[in-house]
Amino acid sequence: MQKLFRWASKWWPGLIPLAVMWGFAAWNNTLPVEADLSARSTAALKGTVLDKTRIAVDGRDVRLAADAFSEEGRRDAVTAVETVPGVRLVDDRTRLVPEAKPFVWNAERDVVRVTLSGSAPLPSMKGRLTEAARKEVGGAEVADQMSLARGAPPRFEAAAMLLLDQIGKLKDGKITITDTQVNLSGMARELGGREAIAAALKNLPEGFSVAANDVKAPPYIFQAYKDPVAATVALTGYVPDNNVHAAIATSASRKFFTEKVVDNLKASIGAPGSFNTAVVAALGALSRLSTGTLVVSDREVKLSGDALYEGAANDIRAGLGKDFPKNWQYKPEITVKPAAGPVDGTVCQQLFTDLLAKGKIRFVAKRADIDPDSAAILDHLIETALRCPNTNIEIAGHTDADGEEGFNRALSEKRAQAVIDYLVKAGLPASRFTAIGHGSTQPVAGNDTDDGKAKNRRIEFLVR
Amino acid sequence: MPYLVSFHLGWLIGSVLLGFCMGWISVVQRGNGTSKVTARWLAALAAALVAVSFARVVPGRFGYWLDLGLILFACYLVGCTIGAWLRDRVVSRSMPAA
Repeated sequence: MQKLFRWASKWWPGLIPLAVMWGFAAWNNTLPVEADLSARSTAALKGTVLDKTRIAVDGRDVRLAADAFSEEGRRDAVTAVETVPGVRLVDDRTRLVPEAKPFVWNAERDVVRVTLSGSAPLPSMKGRLTEAARKEVGGAEVADQMSLARGAPPRFEAAAMLLLDQIGKLKDGKITITDTQVNLSGMARELGGREAIAAALKNLPEGFSVAANDVKAPPYIFQAYKDPVAATVALTGYVPDNNVHAAIATSASRKFFTEKVVDNLKASIGAPGSFNTAVVAALGALSRLSTGTLVVSDREVKLSGDALYEGAANDIRAGLGKDFPKNWQYKPEITVKPAAGPVDGTVCQQLFTDLLAKGKIRFVAKRADIDPDSAAILDHLIETALRCPNTNIEIAGHTDADGEEGFNRALSEKRAQAVIDYLVKAGLPASRFTAIGHGSTQPVAGNDTDDGKAKNRRIEFLVR
Repeated sequence: MPYLVSFHLGWLIGSVLLGFCMGWISVVQRGNGTSKVTARWLAALAAALVAVSFARVVPGRFGYWLDLGLILFACYLVGCTIGAWLRDRVVSRSMPAA
């Protein structure tokens, strides 16, 4: 031992080169040590859930700043860095993310964009929600403005995912979760979308409830366009179901006696009440126009086009009859087609014959009441009668051979008179017309078939 | 400690070799070396530095440099001891022959 002390007293000169070495070692290794410890600390934090993580290494001391989502997560993160080999001290600058009270999350949709805002409980969930929104809306842009906060209710993610599934069904609108209350507003993309959303909301996770669902359905549109050039009536838009569809199609084919009905209607729920009545009445008015457009949007009926003569225009403007539903709005924009030039009696007769070959004036069975579906052909007959003002016209009624001849003759005359009354009401002088009832004495077809009988029941216009 | 050793292995071996040379020389060197009082003071200083290092009171890079210096110094002392002891054995074996 004595020896050792003696030797050691002579070791001091080596300290000078040792100090030089120390200086070089420090000079060379400080930055590599810091970089190495920084990388190791970052790797150690991989398994932890943190936000805004910043690691700064000074020598072997690590300053860890991060937002944690629970006290346990915060402690785990600090411990993970503390146990990294080589780390001397950890300066703990971690904190818990603020707690949101109430915890609010929004998904807002406009035409081109979905914006997610409010609070999300975890960064990974934030990513999943954004991804789900992106998948749901296809091409639209998804803007993530969510911040992170604690305090989300249990099963928040399931609720948010379910609501994101609904965002695709909205044209525009906003979905909000406030703690466990769900609010929805906006406009559904398609008819039935509102109902589909309401149905989906029944599957919200336990604990969540719908505070307000103000999603509106898009307008229920029905359109008809009468094109005199193509001789078609195009029906587009929606009808409530197949029965109403069939009823409207049948009614249209009866009302439009010269035009072909092109039926492009689709069945969809969401029709306003009394849809069928309103549409049938409006189609009746459209059938009286030479060209026109009918747009039924929810409870609003817009009819525009040209009537055949002034009286018809006034009649159409006046309304759609007593059956038109009370709480519906009717907006007619009716002009009058320029009057066609006058023609002589022979031409007039030809025009009458042509018109009555294409369609016929219908009556209620066994009675002399004119079927409202005949308004279109009557308007055309009146327009023709106006073109030959100096002629007298005999209106002849015919029946089929069913029933007693006396009754048939009386009925045919009454029907002819009903037509005259209609013409006079439209503004033609009564003196030009005479009614005659032929009963079943002048059949144009056999009375042994329904088809033949239908042909025999007719009104003829004869220019005298 | 294992981290410091493995990261600076080359430098530590260097300081061991330096110490070995110094120890090797110190056995046969003439002269008095440091006085007892100075040696005590130096030992006290070294102990104080070790205490400071273990207490981790020196922050950041200075703390790291202190640790590095002490570990180099420790290796140097180990090298000195080994060098001096071996030289002593060599010297004492050759003495009877001479």
